[in-house]
Amino acid sequence: MATVAHCDPEPAPPTPTAGRRHTGTARIALVGNPNTGKTTIFNRLCGTRAKTSNFPGTTTSARVGRAMVGGDHLADIVDLPGLYQLGLELPEAKIARDVIAGAGLFTRPDAVLVVVDACNLTRNLVLVGELLASHIPVVVALNMVDLAQQRGLSLDPVELRLHLGCPVVPVVARRGVGLEELRHALGRVLDDASLGMPKTLPFDPANMAAVSTWAERVVEESVGGTAAVGSETDTLTERLDKTFTHPVLGLVVFMSVMVGLFWTLFAIATVPMALIEATFTQLGQRVGDLLPAGLLHDLVSEGIIGGIAGTVVFLPQICLLFFLISILEDTGYLARAAFVMDRVLCRFGLPGHAFVPLLTSHACALPGLMSTRLIPDRRDRFATILVAPFMSCSARLPVYVLLTALLFANQPLFAGLAFAACYLVGASAALVSALLFRRTLLRGRARPMMLELPSYKMPSLANAFVTAKDQGLAFLKTAGTIIMAICVVMWWLNRFPRTAPPPEADALRAQASIASTPAQAATLSAEAAAVTRRHAQATSYAGRLGDVIQPVFAPLGYDAQLTIGVLTSFLAREVFVSTMSVLVGGSADDDVHDAGVIDRIRSARRHDGSLLFTPATATSLLVFFVLAMQCLPTLAVTRRETGHIKWAALQLGYMSALAYTFALLAYQGLRLAGVS
Amino acid sequence: MSDSSRSLQPREAPVRLSDLAAGCVARLHAANLAPHDCALLRALGLTDDCVLRICQVGEPCIVQVRSTRIGLSKAVARDIYVLPEGVG
Repeated sequence: MATVAHCDPEPAPPTPTAGRRHTGTARIALVGNPNTGKTTIFNRLCGTRAKTSNFPGTTTSARVGRAMVGGDHLADIVDLPGLYQLGLELPEAKIARDVIAGAGLFTRPDAVLVVVDACNLTRNLVLVGELLASHIPVVVALNMVDLAQQRGLSLDPVELRLHLGCPVVPVVARRGVGLEELRHALGRVLDDASLGMPKTLPFDPANMAAVSTWAERVVEESVGGTAAVGSETDTLTERLDKTFTHPVLGLVVFMSVMVGLFWTLFAIATVPMALIEATFTQLGQRVGDLLPAGLLHDLVSEGIIGGIAGTVVFLPQICLLFFLISILEDTGYLARAAFVMDRVLCRFGLPGHAFVPLLTSHACALPGLMSTRLIPDRRDRFATILVAPFMSCSARLPVYVLLTALLFANQPLFAGLAFAACYLVGASAALVSALLFRRTLLRGRARPMMLELPSYKMPSLANAFVTAKDQGLAFLKTAGTIIMAICVVMWWLNRFPRTAPPPEADALRAQASIASTPAQAATLSAEAAAVTRRHAQATSYAGRLGDVIQPVFAPLGYDAQLTIGVLTSFLAREVFVSTMSVLVGGSADDDVHDAGVIDRIRSARRHDGSLLFTPATATSLLVFFVLAMQCLPTLAVTRRETGHIKWAALQLGYMSALAYTFALLAYQGLRLAGVS
Repeated sequence: MSDSSRSLQPREAPVRLSDLAAGCVARLHAANLAPHDCALLRALGLTDDCVLRICQVGEPCIVQVRSTRIGLSKAVARDIYVLPEGVG
């Protein structure tokens, strides 16, 4: 038996609740190692109606739920991020330390509920030891006791309680076993805080080695057959690990899983996405019918509803993605997959964890950036956030379709190759940029992988549902605040100042009124409307800005019309196609797959009569859109995920500069080669 | 576990973790890693003198300490020194 050095007992400092009954709504911090079933216990205690928000001053999300404990105590339970030790220099450990100490903006909790894995007691008890030293009443939920018994461990909760000096409740969170006893235990320590605090600490809390030795001794004296702990060889786990982390097989499995994930994402999310689009279209029409024509009508239907619709349409993809990632994480597979990708990404200064965000960004950068929360190291995470928008998202597709069709008319093979090259250039730019950031602003190599490989298990659908709901709500919050404000500003720039229709439009309308056939009248009216829109766009603040800024884009081959297209697509890339369609006399609703639209854009002319799109201009634009950060919602999410606007500004500046430089090189290079 | 300064003075005949074969049992001796990486290893369960079993070698190296399986990149496994205790 190990000898444990007992240090001098340190008296617990008086706390406001020590020895007294707690009144009012109590505050309980829920703490535990990762993979101990903490979230399951939280959901069991509070239901799924918990609120999610960020911890004050951080970007780490916190879930707070309300539960009845001990019969008559109402308690707010704060679910802290999973952590191994309080003393580690990691963001989650710092937050837990601050919450438990009541530092800064945090309120010191009245009690701590710590969830421990009965199969892995020694390591979990180190955290318990640190918490016992914090002079807050502690209740231990000894989770997965069924699994421990299956592995031949005989746990003695009474002996454990005597060693720890606080209540220890055996539970099986997945099945809801022991939850009532847990509520009672929490109620008891809220009634009498001294029940949850040891009278003396048998270790020096400042000495982690002493805490570890104490934890080992407690396990030896409380758990039957310690020799059995961990000595068993789980053949199935070993085989699965060997397959999932194999250099070739592991990659094949990983690619299969990712293909399955994205197929599911696109196949299933398409239906609710179409529903959302239809709902917003209906809403816009309803509002259009209700409000009289004018400023308010246009603001609501075009600025607010139109702007939010463009963002909220991605909500199903985001919810489904987080649902699937939660399922994968819960099975234990994702930890193995991180090692597979680490071999490739570490060469570019990114960790293996970065692969899911980068792959997700091919669908949309918004969920991609949000899924960087899987990356534990801050620098690794920020590097991934900065480069993820280089991945060709689905919003770039209409632009690629238009420009490759303009470049290679009737040459589908070359158009296809150019299309594929766009994806390759985007991914290469992301990796090279990551390397650059890791050698400058985020100096250092990707942190070497050291990861607990959790046991393989059946995933919890309830937990996945809660995760998807939380992430969806967080996204909606961003869409409803920052993104809506940006949409209104962009709408205003596009619509003001209001100008009278040009004489050319009046003349067309006059011709329409005396047209010989209804079809001719309709054509003339549509033409008049297009002329009016083009005039309004050209004379708007955005249009005037286009005129002012055009000299900047002139070296890239863009005239005022293309400059307006680039500027308006700053809200979202796909807007470029509708803007071009409007500018060359069509409608904003025209589809890029419509050959008529492409032909019209191809034959569009500049004010001097030359072609608007030459091969050099189209190539330059294609390069620009592959590399540019033309997506305001992405910038808003970058700001939220990094916690500071400077990272969003850096991302915008870096990507814009890169896009400008390479578009310039492409245009001028082709001109020099005689292609213009 | 020790930091880099201590790890340069092995007491017995420690070997790199990456040099052992799968199935071997060893006792942790030292780690020539950055202090925050040492702290993380310790928190994961790789504490001073703990007994570990090598489940898989290569990239990644997988070890089992008590009932925790820990994946370590090859670079990390190269910088961890252990004292072999036999085959588990």
